[in-house]
Amino acid sequence: MEVPRRYWRYLDWPLILAVAALIAIGFVVIYSASYSQLTQAGISPFYYVTRQFLGLVLGLAAVVVIISIDYRAWKRWTRLIYIASIGMLGLLLVMGTTVFGSQRWFRIGPMSIQPSELAKLALVLVLAKHLEGREQLEGWNIWRAFALAAVPAGLIILQPDLGTAAIFAGLAFAMLFFAGADLRKLGLCAAVLAVAAMAAIYVSWKGWIPIIKPYQLSRLLVFLDPYADRNNAGWNIIQSMIAIGSGGFAGKGIFSGTQSRLHFLPANHTDFVFSVIAEEFGFIGTLVVLVLYAVVIWRGLRIAMLAKDMYGLLLAAGAVSIFFFHLIINVGMTLGMMPITGLPLPFITAGGSTLLTSLMAIGIILNVGLRRQKIMF
Amino acid sequence: MRRSVSTILIHRRVIAMLLTAMCFTLLLVGRLAYLQIARNRFFQDKAVEQRIQRIPVEGRRGSIYDRNGIPLAVSINATSVYAIPAEVENKEQTARILAQILNLDYETVLARLNKRTASEWVKKKVSLEEAEAVIKAGLPGVGVVDSSERVYPYGSVAPQVLGFVGIDNQGLEGLELYYDKILRGTPGQAVFERDAVGRAIPGGIRGYVPGKPGADLVLTIDYYIQQVAQREVERATRETGSRLGLIIITDPKTGEILANAVYPTFDIENVLDYPADYRRNIAVTDTYEPGSTFKAVTMAVALEEGVATVNTGFFDPGYINVSGWRIRCWHRGGHGPQSFFETLQNSCNPFYAKLGMELGGEKFYPNLMKFNFGAKMGVDFPGEVPGTVHPPSSRVPLVTWANIGFGQGLTMTPLQLLAAFGAIANDGIYSVPHYVREIITDSGTTAPELPAQRRVISSATAAIVKEALRRVITRGSAKRAEAPGYFVAGKTGTAQVVEDGRYSHSKTVTSFAGFAPVHDPQMAALLVLWEPQGAFFGGIIAAPVFSRLTQQVMPFLGVERQAMADSGVPQVTVPDVVGLPVQEGMEALQDARFQVELIGEGQRIIGQAPEGGAAAGVGTEVYVFTDTDYLPASSDLPTPFGV
Repeated sequence: MEVPRRYWRYLDWPLILAVAALIAIGFVVIYSASYSQLTQAGISPFYYVTRQFLGLVLGLAAVVVIISIDYRAWKRWTRLIYIASIGMLGLLLVMGTTVFGSQRWFRIGPMSIQPSELAKLALVLVLAKHLEGREQLEGWNIWRAFALAAVPAGLIILQPDLGTAAIFAGLAFAMLFFAGADLRKLGLCAAVLAVAAMAAIYVSWKGWIPIIKPYQLSRLLVFLDPYADRNNAGWNIIQSMIAIGSGGFAGKGIFSGTQSRLHFLPANHTDFVFSVIAEEFGFIGTLVVLVLYAVVIWRGLRIAMLAKDMYGLLLAAGAVSIFFFHLIINVGMTLGMMPITGLPLPFITAGGSTLLTSLMAIGIILNVGLRRQKIMF
Repeated sequence: MRRSVSTILIHRRVIAMLLTAMCFTLLLVGRLAYLQIARNRFFQDKAVEQRIQRIPVEGRRGSIYDRNGIPLAVSINATSVYAIPAEVENKEQTARILAQILNLDYETVLARLNKRTASEWVKKKVSLEEAEAVIKAGLPGVGVVDSSERVYPYGSVAPQVLGFVGIDNQGLEGLELYYDKILRGTPGQAVFERDAVGRAIPGGIRGYVPGKPGADLVLTIDYYIQQVAQREVERATRETGSRLGLIIITDPKTGEILANAVYPTFDIENVLDYPADYRRNIAVTDTYEPGSTFKAVTMAVALEEGVATVNTGFFDPGYINVSGWRIRCWHRGGHGPQSFFETLQNSCNPFYAKLGMELGGEKFYPNLMKFNFGAKMGVDFPGEVPGTVHPPSSRVPLVTWANIGFGQGLTMTPLQLLAAFGAIANDGIYSVPHYVREIITDSGTTAPELPAQRRVISSATAAIVKEALRRVITRGSAKRAEAPGYFVAGKTGTAQVVEDGRYSHSKTVTSFAGFAPVHDPQMAALLVLWEPQGAFFGGIIAAPVFSRLTQQVMPFLGVERQAMADSGVPQVTVPDVVGLPVQEGMEALQDARFQVELIGEGQRIIGQAPEGGAAAGVGTEVYVFTDTDYLPASSDLPTPFGV
């Protein structure tokens, strides 16, 4: 496949460099965080790093494939991709692997695939197609957009994975917002959704209808007062905040984080990887990571604004929204500002399919950027 | 009107999204700055704190000595085996080896090793051989550590007074409890750094701060006198078939308690094998109605208040009427005309009822308060009770004060009564009884703080009451209490037990309270027997015990037996038999026409009372102590005060 010269010119290098830096930091932190646990278990300390590398290779291949096809050509595949993603989510409930009480993965050889990650991208594609070119967004179109998000979100709630399901709702709102939906109507929808969520929590809390399981409820609410349940649900938040706070300005140094090394910090190479960065690299380290994410969001939204058409804008902005939601929910969780959810930190959290799908999202953004309009303002 | 979707609007919205994202990111940065910079110190401390495991190391508990420095309760080092379950590698094998060495049940050990605790005791107080075997086995995660154990080198000496300690060397009862803070050392600690699972970190922080030993107590209790009291209270209780017996001996000049013996008693090494009731020190924690012994107090108060003088006489018709109640004398038909002293010799109830009535609440009650009746004295012992004396009011009838006059209708602890007798003996100066003489710490020896001595009656009053109490022995109802040459003064008492709110006809409390020698009292003592079978009167059963007690105790107090000028009995020098074989010594004494009372079952004589060289009347009892009873047989006991 021949790559036209303009591809190199229109590739967004700040975005690529920021992503590369985040992935590199990820490798170092994963190695540091999992080293002692793996060696104690008699496994190679490169176990997670190797798997992450596999995800990187697959992800880069996916990026190359994605950017070489004009994004407008995807429209006709959109319906198929969406239905396939829903099919996978359905299949998962029947035969998925259960980890920590929820079915989120397919295990294929050395890789585990998390269909909900792919379903996010599918939703961005299908919503972009649905919302593109609508001069007026009628009530019907808005409800349909929510329905498109609700189907995969519902299947994910059954896994159960409330955090990811929340991201689907957020994506629907974000895409409608970008598509120019009336803010009052969006506000009304948000109110309806909030009331429904609170009702679900209330009936579960009262024990009338177990929509949300007790452990989910306690994880959902424990961040308000972690010390109320310090040895169970509160433990993760407390240990994460101790890790972050004790890291200080300059950090304890690489491989020297006592919180992660001595197993006080759970899931330290996955959900709480940010806490390890904060502990070992300090405020400086976390600032660098957040600035890199800010660059990714800024360049991504810039590409959305420069997009040739509404479809491209929605694709790029939607993909950026995925990163944004993950960042806020994951980092907010480690800082004790958000409920505990199993959402990964894009590019950094260990996990092949997370890295793969994050890179695919980057591919979508780059693709839109490559085929942008020539006149800049 | 419907708005169309314009490019401008869309771009504005993307920029709004960008600004929102930046705001949220700044929020995260702000939160990070707060946690990592502003609260860095706090979280650093928390991180260290949860990695540091502290195992308390107890400070050796202080010892308890008698007044001569004889160790009564001592803490010796013991070794205990512990495990850190997270560090034990092969749990089944480790449990099997430990169970074999320590003679424990395999399943029990395994269960302990499988606990998810930071550290677990496998066995406390193991033998030296067991500890060495455990160390030699070199099991990972298993170690030995020093702790301490309470031992009693001289056996159960005043166990109700000493009390005992629990498994963690904490005082549970008696002086061990009252002085727990002083006896208990300052705990030190072993410190090590651990991970979240509890495993010690190689190369982590490790430290050891040894505990500081606690202070030692020197009691007022005299081991030898206590032995006499314990033996005599056991004998008296058993011979009279009493439910319970008590002997307390004090030094009336200081209030120091020299002996405090309760029977039935218990073995201090096996506390839990005995009923909890046996552990009570009834001298302080229980009350009783004193009965006639209290008449000495009534007499003193009446003299103080001018209600009676030495010249007051009384005609006893056998009863006295008090506001409609008829109080009878124990002597049917009455004692007839009596002098002041004779009323006490005869223990005449109507006279003391009359004194009580004439004193009334206004004069009687404040004087009782002076003697601490109805109030806690401040004895250094846990669980002291105050007893009951009703304050005067319109609801307390006159007959109550009449009853109190001869020792009924009020309750007190035995120690409260003895303290009052001590004040009479000590020329009117009252001392609060106490058990501890000195507290020995690294920095020196201090005496515990005591309530100040104070005068409760004039020395003139005390002298009259002393004479009256002496006449009770020489001419009155308690002749059998006399110890020849020691000039006993005292008073018997027999009170009915209150059962279900009324006086029992069959159950009595018999007692004798007194002191000797009357002109310079060196000991005051109280014997109380609860519910004796048969003879009810104190003069018959309690008085002879007091005589035996005095004769045995006086030599230890360094009081020589004095010839009685008017006895007419020929005086003979007592031969010195200390050090002789028992048979030889007994023959020597019998040849000198003394009666011999043998105490103990040993072969050799180690002490005698009266001492060799003293003069004593022909036919007097000489007590001979043999070696098994008084001094411990083994020689490897800790020396007094660790010298």
